[in-house]
Amino acid sequence: MNGPHDLGGMHSMGPIPIEENEPVFHSEWEAKVFAMSFATFVNYFPVDETRHASERMPPGEYLSSSYYERWLYALELLLAEHNLVTPDEIEARIAEFTQADSLID
Amino acid sequence: MTAQDARVLLAKGLSCQVDSNLPAKFQVGDHVKAKVIHPKTYTRLPRYIRGKVGTIVKDHGVYVFPDTMGQRLSTKPQHVYSVRFTAQELWGLDASPKDSLYIDLFDDHLEAL
Amino acid sequence: MPSHHHRPESEVALRVKAIESLLVEKGIVDLAALDAIIDTYEHKVGPHIGAQIVAKAWVDPEFKKRLLADGTGAISELGFTGFSSEHMVVVENTPEVHNLIVCTLCSCYPWAILGLPPTWYKSFAYRSRAVIEPRKVLQEFGLEIPEQVEVRVWDSNADLRYLVLPERPDGAEGWSEEDLATLVTRNAMIGAAKVQPPAAADSLVA
Repeated sequence: MNGPHDLGGMHSMGPIPIEENEPVFHSEWEAKVFAMSFATFVNYFPVDETRHASERMPPGEYLSSSYYERWLYALELLLAEHNLVTPDEIEARIAEFTQADSLID
Repeated sequence: MTAQDARVLLAKGLSCQVDSNLPAKFQVGDHVKAKVIHPKTYTRLPRYIRGKVGTIVKDHGVYVFPDTMGQRLSTKPQHVYSVRFTAQELWGLDASPKDSLYIDLFDDHLEAL
Repeated sequence: MPSHHHRPESEVALRVKAIESLLVEKGIVDLAALDAIIDTYEHKVGPHIGAQIVAKAWVDPEFKKRLLADGTGAISELGFTGFSSEHMVVVENTPEVHNLIVCTLCSCYPWAILGLPPTWYKSFAYRSRAVIEPRKVLQEFGLEIPEQVEVRVWDSNADLRYLVLPERPDGAEGWSEEDLATLVTRNAMIGAAKVQPPAAADSLVA
């Protein structure tokens, strides 16, 4: 598809963001998104299906998201499309966690 | 996935190569043109290569075809080649006459000249 | 799909935690598998593996010949294989040719040989610019490539993964393979740097 991922030759992307001594993951959630996606590569989705899922992100969103935000989008999309985890289940679980947190507070 | 499954996948990976005696459509040294295609589905043929003329520099053998794999269709095994394009073919005369771009393209991405 | 626009980190983290708990609850993935995957990329694989391959090629001409002819085969002789490094191609930098690796469509990279890619390799800037203006990109890394040197850019769009064999620096004659490996940097194995001679490497540290 002629999507936002097909970047070769595009202009105005700015200087190369060179970061000294960067960590492998910049936060725990990045590590988890990576690991959950990796864990689905064989049993559920071919790697190319995961790549394609991130390309299906709307162009404006793709170009304003970080690398692991795009992975998260692909993961959620494929989990939903393959009826493994629905968006409603995710929202319900977030609500549970939020409520539990507020009870502790 | 269990931790053991993860360790096996991490260590062994996933081979995309196919044991096949499928004949190659192109030979090293052939001039080829990347097809002009605009599928709405998955493809590993980037826009900046489409319609450009390059030279086959290596035949890597037979691999599963990502363009169909990404849509959960057949594996459609075929030859994948390292194809060289001059920088000027891709970007015009402002590019360095010394420079070139190498990319791996499948039989289905290419046509004979 | 819900919008992912500019959500605060805490919101993303909570969302990821929710998905993780659902995947574990449904038996799709074990927590121990996630830990094993993260541990591998944080602590086990990384540029030190690629550096061993490069150092061996510098001291063993027969190995170097095999490495350039059949990257996958030569690298597996050393016991290095793994996910996203199943099919390896090694390209050699020389006084005449400078190679640079990119993946314009995503961020394909030899994970088992170099670890996960750095942010710059995954950036839109690098993915868009490396193919159209490689010399300017290399300048941003402090590398000025003379006009008479050929720049070859490799767009790793398929299932082959690339490693640059950098030039062996002067000043490390007679060094052991192990010591040579300490000179080899990640960026040099992508083509975004040259391996510095030992004195220069020391002065960078100092």
